[in-house]
Parts: sequence; C-alpha cells; structure tokens
Amino acid sequence: MDKFDVIIVGAGLAGLSAAYVLAKEGIEVVIIERGDYPGAKNVTGGRLYVNPVRQYLPDIWDDAPLERHVTNEMVTMMSPDNSVSMRFRSDKFDQKPYHSYTVLRATFDRWLAAQAEKAGAMLVTKNRVDDVIKEQGKVIGVVTAGEELGADVVVACDGVLSFVAEKAGMIVPGQPRNFAVGLKEVIELPRTTLEDRFGLTGDEGVAQMFMGSLTQGRFGGGFLYTNKASVSLGMVVGIRDLIERKPGVEVHLLLDEFKERPEIVPLIKGGEPVEYSAHVIPEGGLAGLTPLFGDGILVAGDAAGFSLNMGITVRGMEFAIASGVMAARAIIEARAKNDFSASTLSCYQQFLENSFVMKDFRTFQHTPHVLDNSRFYGYYPQFAGKLLEDLYTVDSGPKAKISDTIRKNLSLGESLRMGKDLLGGLKI
Amino acid sequence: MNIYVCVKQTVDLQQVRIRKETREPVLDGVPLTIGNIDKNALEEGVRLRDKLGGKVIGVSAGSEELNDTIKEALAMGADEAIMIIAPELEGAESSTVAMALAKAIEKTGEIGIILLGEGSSDNYSGQVGPRIAEILDLPQITYVSSLEAEGNTVKAVRNLEDCFETVEAEMPVVVSVVSEINEPRIPAVTQILKAGRKPKQIYSPAELGVEIAGSQIKTISNLAPEQDRKRLLFQEGVGQDVKSLVAALESEGLLGR
Amino acid sequence: MSERRSMKAKLGGNVFKPDRERHINIKPGFEKDARLKAALFVCPAGLYSLNEEDEVVLDIDGCLECGTCRIACGTEVLDWNYPNGEAGVQFRFG
Ligand SMILES: Cc1cc2nc3c(=O)[nH]c(=O)nc-3n(C[C@H](O)[C@H](O)[C@H](O)COP(=O)(O)OP(=O)(O)OC[C@H]3O[C@@H](n4cnc5c(N)ncnc54)[C@H](O)[C@@H]3O)c2cc1C
Repeated sequence: MDKFDVIIVGAGLAGLSAAYVLAKEGIEVVIIERGDYPGAKNVTGGRLYVNPVRQYLPDIWDDAPLERHVTNEMVTMMSPDNSVSMRFRSDKFDQKPYHSYTVLRATFDRWLAAQAEKAGAMLVTKNRVDDVIKEQGKVIGVVTAGEELGADVVVACDGVLSFVAEKAGMIVPGQPRNFAVGLKEVIELPRTTLEDRFGLTGDEGVAQMFMGSLTQGRFGGGFLYTNKASVSLGMVVGIRDLIERKPGVEVHLLLDEFKERPEIVPLIKGGEPVEYSAHVIPEGGLAGLTPLFGDGILVAGDAAGFSLNMGITVRGMEFAIASGVMAARAIIEARAKNDFSASTLSCYQQFLENSFVMKDFRTFQHTPHVLDNSRFYGYYPQFAGKLLEDLYTVDSGPKAKISDTIRKNLSLGESLRMGKDLLGGLKI
Repeated sequence: MNIYVCVKQTVDLQQVRIRKETREPVLDGVPLTIGNIDKNALEEGVRLRDKLGGKVIGVSAGSEELNDTIKEALAMGADEAIMIIAPELEGAESSTVAMALAKAIEKTGEIGIILLGEGSSDNYSGQVGPRIAEILDLPQITYVSSLEAEGNTVKAVRNLEDCFETVEAEMPVVVSVVSEINEPRIPAVTQILKAGRKPKQIYSPAELGVEIAGSQIKTISNLAPEQDRKRLLFQEGVGQDVKSLVAALESEGLLGR
Repeated sequence: MSERRSMKAKLGGNVFKPDRERHINIKPGFEKDARLKAALFVCPAGLYSLNEEDEVVLDIDGCLECGTCRIACGTEVLDWNYPNGEAGVQFRFG
C-alpha cells in the first residue's frame, strides 16, 4: 500500500483549502475527487463573503475568478398575488477590498485547485473514494477504484453526505429535519442586458433573497445572484417540510412557479438557461454538527455540517474554507508531535472554537428552531403585502385612516403571536 | 528502442455546448484532455513496450496547459514525455505541429515506432502522421486496427472499411491507429500520482529550429447544424397516427427512397 | 407567461457522462414502502414515479446526485452511492 502524509477526500472548498495550506508547508498531500474536475459536482447559490476567510488563505484573493462584487442587497417578500421588496445599495460595498462576491463553483474550484497544485498538492480527479481503511479503530487510509492508499491522516471533505465519515463510523445517514435541498438554474444574459436590467455599473452585482409564498408554507426561500454574464436563480426548501406538508408538491414545480412570477419573468426574459443543478444543504445548525475528529481522521466543510441558514441566506462556503484551513493546521501540529491520534487532532476543535466558525454557530444556534415556523413563509409576507396593497389602494369611496388600515389587517390575536415570533426572532 | 506516441490536447467534446442564439460552440473554460483516438495509440504503445521492452515517450505540442494533458499520458503508462510549448502552438495547423513533433522526436534518440491516432477528436485532419513520416523519411501505415511487432518488423492490419489489408514494414515506422484497435485503460490512482514524477523534457519551437509560420488555413465557419423542428403532433389514436407519421416522413423525402 | 420548459429540456442542458451501473437502486421488496413515496416529491429532477402496480420506480438518467432522496427516504429503502469516477453529472457552472 502506497502511503502519503495526508489524503483529502473531496476537492470542494474545504478540501482544496486544506490541501493548499498543507502543501505550502511542504507536506505530501493527495486530494481525491470524483468529478472530472474540481467543481464538477458542486453547487452553491452563489455568494461568498471574503472578509471572514481572507486571513485563512492570504494572498490569493486578488486573482480569484469571482463573478461580481455585491453592492445591492435585496429582499422580496412574496404573497400569491403581490410582493414587497427592499433594495439596499451601498457605496461602501463598492469600495475595495470588496467584502462579498457572487461565484460559480465550476470556475472557482478549478482555480483554487490549480493554486493548491502549484503549491505542491497532488490532485487526482475522476476517482471516487469507496471506503476507509481502519486498523485497531484508527483510520489509516482509503480505498479508491480497488486500490488502497495509506495516510497518517485522512480528511473527510466530501460534502454533505460524507460517505467517508459514515464509513469511518463517525456518523449515520442524516435525518430530513436537518437538511434542505437547493435547486438552481443558471441563465445566461448578455453582460450589457444584465447590467441594464439590474441597474449595475461595471462589476457590481445584486444578491436578492425571496421568502414567502414561493415555498407554499414550507421552510425555505429563493435567491437570485448576478454573475458576470448570467444569473443564478434558485430556491432552498426544507426536506422535512417537503415530505410532511400537505398537499404535497413536487419541489421542481415550486421552482417553475417561482420563475413564472411577474417579479421574475422580466429579469430572465430572453436569457438562455444553461444549467440546472441541485444539492442537499446541511441546516441542522449547532445541533447538527458531526464529530469533527477521530483517530487518523478529521472532518471539514459540509461533511461536518458547517453550513448555516441565517434566516434568508445560506452560508457554507466561508465555513468550508476556514474549517479546511484549521484541519490543515491541526495536522501540522500533529506532525510536530508525530502523533495522529484523536487526542492530538482534537486541537482542530479548539481552533474552530476560537474562530468565527464556532462563534457564528453558537450565535445562530437557535436559528433553525426559530425559522421552523410556517408563519414566516406564509402569514408575514401576506400580511405585509396586504397592508401595503390597502395603503396604496384608492377606491371610489373615502380612504381609511392609515391606523385603521393597519388595525384592519392585524387582529389582537395576530399581534400577540407576532410579538412572540418577534421575541423568538431576537434570539437569531 | 523508443516508442513515441504523439498525443494532442483537445477540449473535452462532451463539455462543449452550443450557444443557441449563434449556433457557435462555446470553448471558453472547457476542460482539456487527450484526444480519444490518441488514447488508443498510447494504449497500443504501452502494450508493445510491455512485450518488446524499451520506453514509451509521449510527445505533444501546444500551450502551457499541456502539462496537465501530458500527465494523463504518463498516468496511462508512458515512461517519459516531450513537450513543445509555445502559445502559438495552441490550435496551430497540422503542418506546423507535425514539424515540431518530428523535430523533437528526431532530436531525442533512436526511433522504433511512432504511434498516432488516425485523427484528432477536434479537427480530424488526419495529416499529422503522414506529414511526420514525410519529414523523417519513414514508412507509414495508416488506419491500423491491429498491430504486432516481431524483432524489427511490424505487421499491421489496416481497416479500410470495405476490406482489411495486412501489411509489414521494417522499423522505424510511423503507425496511425483507429479506435477499435484496443480499449484504453483507466489509469490507477497510484499511476496518476507517479505520473507527476516521471521525466519531462520541454522544448521551445526555436530550440528545435521550427518556425511557426502564419496560418495558411482560414476557418470560414464553425457552427452547429441548424435544428429545425417541425412540431407535428399526431393525436388521433395509434392506427391513424402511424399513417399520418409515415405520410409526413414521406413528404419530407425521408422514407420510401 | 413564458412556456414552461419540460424537465427533459432542463436536464438536457447539463453534461452527463454514462456510468457502467446504476448508482441508486430501490431495494428489492421496498417498491411500495411508504418511505419511498417521499421521493415522488423531493427529487429535483423528478426521476421517481409510480408504475401501474403502484410501485415507485426510478429513472436514473438525469440524476443530479444531490442526495435528497437518500435523506428523505433513508438507506433502508434505497441503495445509494455516487456514480463511479468519470461518470454522472459534470456541472459547467455550479
Ligand atoms: C443551492 C445552494 C445555495 C447555497 N448558497 C450558498 C451561498 O450563497 N453562500 C454560501 O456560503 N454557501 C452557500 N451554500 C452552501 C455551500 O455551497 C456549501 O456549504 C459548500 O459548497 C461546502 O463546501 P465543501 O467543500 O464542504 O463541500 P462540497 O463543495 O460539496 O465539496 C465536496 C467534494 O467532495 C467530492 N466527493 C464527495 N464524495 C466523494 C468521494 N466518495 N470520493 C471523492 N470525492 C468525493 C465532491 O465531488 C465535491 O467536490 C449553498 C448550497 C446550495 C446547495
């Protein structure tokens, strides 16, 4: 059995970031990826916040093939027959270094892989890892395409379903309540059309979140990100709600209906749909995290559950990058002691605790629970829509006082429930 | 004895999409790989080496990105690689590429067999093999679907579509193969990992005395065929529909010729 | 309203490379299992359907490898693996 210092399974953001740091230290690292190229199997909505991760991968961001820097943030609450939008634009967001970018993974991951390879990492694509090799409870390698490869440490960066962590006995297959499914279409538009349509100058971009009737009362929401010459349009829906909420609806029909809304149609008109993708997203928050280390093994990125639903956006990419880097740092420490046991590798957890990763997970630990409230996806958007509709309507008769209009739309019982949800919301 | 295998870096054809509006292929960012038939040539080279001994040397001309492609060839069993790298070689025409490959091969030692795919997956001009044979003044065998070597002689079956022809030639010889000659192997992970450490020689065209002349070939058009759907729908029930379908196909001149 | 694209057309824009085996299989005997019914709703590619015998069937062509059916139905009813290397969907945008 050929042996290497470190084997990383999965060339996503977590795996590539870990490989990059290890290779820079001169450590012999092999990344095994099942796709034809890094990014070939990866889906994201599309927004990366660079500030949290700049320090973890210093020096690389200037050349990174990112799409547009987001200067316009939009939120749209949808009801079946109206919508309320807010658009926020900031000059500050248009100043370098930009803090938030849209990305397409097939481009970005390939580029990050090239950086890791330049640093000395060995990348093997088109190969699926099928098993881990254990000896006296300790992980000592992996099996791929019938071959055994040994390593001091295996890092499971194989994404949300992590077969590696599962084969290593660290996790069991996940439960619907801890996961959502994301669906996305990429629709190409000529650059100038896109910029005119969204009111953008140069490489500025828009991030637009949608919540409300598009998920038909289900946990989730929609998103639209502008790339250089395309938009990423999609939605995220909780899997448990898809199974349990009646009447059942096929999830792809939700996306079709969303796309047919008058709020969306003009945005994508004349565009050429060039890709349809989908991916499971871990959304269990703090409670959904898996064990992070074992003898000879570390788990990073989505594989560990490091993806957070913060209300209307999913954040996973920064956590993937940062946890990958911290896994690498833990391995560097373990090498110094030449001990790859769980107790040495546990410094990984400590690094995470001291970083924004675990801090954010603790801060937002109540989010999954608070958001698991169908009123956010039905009642509130409708309330806001109906209220504004009434306020903006001038009928043939006399117009009611504004306070009366509000009172009409909001009964006492409703205001009490709203107060309770608001208190819950304060926990987020 | 050296077995040279010429491989061409081409786009992964399965990844090429056609822009609907213009019918143009989108080649930007498409992953590169070894041409399909070149893989057969490599496989044949490796098989012959295992029998005859010697070395398999992968040879390729192209841009900086060749490094990745050549790694694939090394992983599939080539022992060494020669690369001729210059930005102008990317997409250069057959005459230039053949000259670069021939000069590089000539420079590096004793030639046994020079193997190529019959045509590249992208242009399929089928010219590089014959041109190399001319430049180096070697015998050549084309359309080879089966190849044996004994001592200094190769015996090849040529697939000429309506017949097979068996020929013999003395080494050194240029052989271009068709895809049915073998099933190329999928390289093992350990081979892929070792590929990075195998010897590689890089030349610039100037070092080989090759001049890259301006292109003599002009591409007039490169468009996907127009797809015009008739959008005929027959919904009268099977009996009637079959008749209507046949009638429609006949009126298009597609049946009953 | 623009014409809705069929799922076939949507998936047709993706790159799929053929595999030598099906990577997801319904475990024999579980075709009518209640847990499997979830797949009819959760599959983003709509690959699960009911046949005349009221059994759930899976058409693997066009699988996006998202993993939703594995989570929704569980591994007691589905034999679920990723496709082999060099096979399956290859996203050009992601
Ligand atoms: C629709 C959608 C929208 C999202 N929006 C956002 C957003 O706007 N912002 C944000 O920050 N996050 C977002 N996320 C989450 C984010 O995309 C993920 O958290 C992130 O991609 C996780 O990266 P990773 O490296 O951990 O895993 P992945 O990117 O999933 O990488 C895992 C890699 O492992 C490989 N692999 C798996 N198994 C094997 C095996 N057995 N052998 C070999 N290779 C294997 C895979 O091919 C893949 O390359 C979104 C996710 C989705 C699905």
